[in-house]
Amino acid sequence: MTPAATGTLDRDKLFTARLHAVQVRPYLATALFALHVVESRQVPTMAVDRHWRCYVSPGFVARTPVAELAGVWVHEVSHLLRDHHGRGDRVARERGLTGPGERLRMNIAADCEINDDVFGDGLARPEGVVDPAGLGLPPGELMEDYLRWFRLGPRTQDWVWLDCGSGADGREREWDLGPDGAHGLSPQERDAVRFRVAQGITGRPGSVPQGWRRWAEEAFHPPQPWRELLGAAVRSAVSVAGVGEDYTYGRPARRSSGVPGVVLPALRRRPPRVCVVIDTSGSVSDAELGSALLEVTAISRAVAGRRDLVTVLPCDAAARVVHPLCRAEDIPLLGGGGTDLRTGFARALRQAPGPDVVVVLTDGQTPWPTVRPPCRTVVGLFPRSGYDERDPDRVPDRPPDWARVVDIGPAGHR
Amino acid sequence: MPVYPVPATTDEPQLDVAADLLALLRATTTEPRPDPQLAALTLAVAADLPVLLWGEPGIGKTAALTQLADSLDLPLTTVIASVHEPSDFAGLPVVGDDPANQGVPMAPPDWAVRLVRAGRGLLFLDELSTAPPAVQAALLRVVLERRIGALSLPPGVRIVAAANPRSSAADGWELSPPLANRFVHLQWTHDHEVVVRGLAGTWPRCVLPRLDRHRLVPAVGFARRAVCGLLAARPGLVHRLPTTEARRGGAWPSPRSWEMTVRLVAFATAADTSREVLSLLVRGAVGDGPGLELLASLDRMDLPDPETLLADPGAATLPERGDLRQAVLDGVVEAVRRRPERTRWEAAWTVLAGALESGPPDLVVVPARTLAALRRDDWDVPASVDRLAGVVALSRRAAEVAAGADR
Repeated sequence: MTPAATGTLDRDKLFTARLHAVQVRPYLATALFALHVVESRQVPTMAVDRHWRCYVSPGFVARTPVAELAGVWVHEVSHLLRDHHGRGDRVARERGLTGPGERLRMNIAADCEINDDVFGDGLARPEGVVDPAGLGLPPGELMEDYLRWFRLGPRTQDWVWLDCGSGADGREREWDLGPDGAHGLSPQERDAVRFRVAQGITGRPGSVPQGWRRWAEEAFHPPQPWRELLGAAVRSAVSVAGVGEDYTYGRPARRSSGVPGVVLPALRRRPPRVCVVIDTSGSVSDAELGSALLEVTAISRAVAGRRDLVTVLPCDAAARVVHPLCRAEDIPLLGGGGTDLRTGFARALRQAPGPDVVVVLTDGQTPWPTVRPPCRTVVGLFPRSGYDERDPDRVPDRPPDWARVVDIGPAGHR
Repeated sequence: MPVYPVPATTDEPQLDVAADLLALLRATTTEPRPDPQLAALTLAVAADLPVLLWGEPGIGKTAALTQLADSLDLPLTTVIASVHEPSDFAGLPVVGDDPANQGVPMAPPDWAVRLVRAGRGLLFLDELSTAPPAVQAALLRVVLERRIGALSLPPGVRIVAAANPRSSAADGWELSPPLANRFVHLQWTHDHEVVVRGLAGTWPRCVLPRLDRHRLVPAVGFARRAVCGLLAARPGLVHRLPTTEARRGGAWPSPRSWEMTVRLVAFATAADTSREVLSLLVRGAVGDGPGLELLASLDRMDLPDPETLLADPGAATLPERGDLRQAVLDGVVEAVRRRPERTRWEAAWTVLAGALESGPPDLVVVPARTLAALRRDDWDVPASVDRLAGVVALSRRAAEVAAGADR
């Protein structure tokens, strides 16, 4: 008689699998141990809810080898660590995805995010597991991206039984004990567990896969969309006191008639001048440049309101001609070869009248001016590995402290 | 379908009818519902720390403040920052008879005078982020130095400010790190369910935390122990300026914000609020990372002391949550390793055997292995180890799986 037939949960087998999972993935130990096991006959395999309970089918445990069970443990806890239910809810709200079909798609997309690098290295791969390759998709992407790229159809037919529970996609299941049930973790406790795991990963260089390392870095400081950051930096630089507008004594205030004999300052607006210096060396792609340039000009136009006050200066080793923005379409983004932004800064500051704000778009592979320029500086930094095969030991300088630096990546996630 | 009485005369003034309809729309009921963000706001206001609410426009910050003022029984004064000039906060010059000798007094605006005369109240500075920089500069003096022109706000006045997040602020105002460090930052979000129910006529009524007079002294002791314990172990957390663009304008740790944290922990302890609320407050004062570290060390302060467990292993009650239970078992084994004595070693085995009976066995494996390695030659294996036979089997099976997976 197997335990499945008698219907009792083989706890020893289940916990042996967890022990194995903890030994091969020690950085997940806190999270794995924090899961509370609930035996359930309604669950097809194993499922988690957002309160960190793990529902287990006795039959599934009986027919699955320990090595594969360990993989399922890690898989299920990954859903919770990566906050798939919260992200699923957000995506559902943002894109208007409703209905059980959509939640199944979310479960599949979340599985793709987890499964491309979770198995191997001591963890056996369970049979029939979802992975991006099975859908013809590239590995290493996020659940939100996978969700855009596939529909339910013949390819996903094998997975319609798939159910990792409400912890994986946010839809409540009939077996869920809900927020008031016993042994659930409060949001604060969940954060604490995720924090401990993230800390364990960042404190263990070398032995943790790249995917988990990235998760740990972003767990509590999710990357913000660079468009918003760049926008905020430019807006803040342009609208700060002394640049765009401020109180002046040049003309009397509208309140002056109320207090005769007193000179009150009045609010006056002087549109700020913005100079955008563009690194046109070979290492920056046209697409990156184009999107960043559009962003900056849109912002400065919104702030300054006058196109003629925004100038664009392409720069490689030698700074070229300064172009006003009204002819932005024609700006030759020529260049290639090395960059020296120092000449770009010098050229930008030589304009008369000088700019209030200099925005630099670059990959940072350049020397920087040693002295602070007499105006506000925003740097939009394109990501680069910084590796130079001619000089492998070279570490490019970070932009200096006086500049506000925004890291420009691909369009922001989450 | 219900039948509505049709008025006999049609010459009733339309505005009166409109007033009746408005009264019907205004009549809403409330229901009790826990609200962590409102509880956090209440505690921070009670602790007399400047609070900055970050929230998109139109999500009910003002409504929350109205409720807070009601429950604290404070008159509410709302000042919309964006429609004022700097002189409204720094004082308006009024020219007297002999300005050269008498000077020009800076007259405060009427709301400030009323506030000072009342001696108590809740001052809500709304829409900080849409005011011009000079107005913001003047306002921050109100918040931080509690001065409006020549007037000083009395201690009974509490101040709350609100701002839109950078992404939605039209002119991108943001706090410099020194200013950000003086506020408790609370993210104000709306709860979908609450809004839908509220529009249907039922708004939530929050049960606000109450301070318990008898807990004041232990609360202060607890708060100081918690924060000092963490900072003694992690000196790097004492002062850490935000370095990346994404963290600008938010909370960050410094001696000042840690002092605020001591105050917040003491208030939360005296009011016996949930960890949820404390988490919002602490992370709002020192930032997410340091805040979470403090909360994690508070969790550890709640765990049973290993020495107590070793002194009376039979009576040990271990936490239910697996990860905490494992932390306790590790602590017990570590205590034995630090001071290895035969009786302590045997007591630890009793604790492990107890853990095995009341919870999952895999937690016990690593502590048992470590404890076994601590044995001295003249120590006999205690009888309680027999009860751990299952663990040995479990451990062996896991090792076999590992060997199988390697093949």
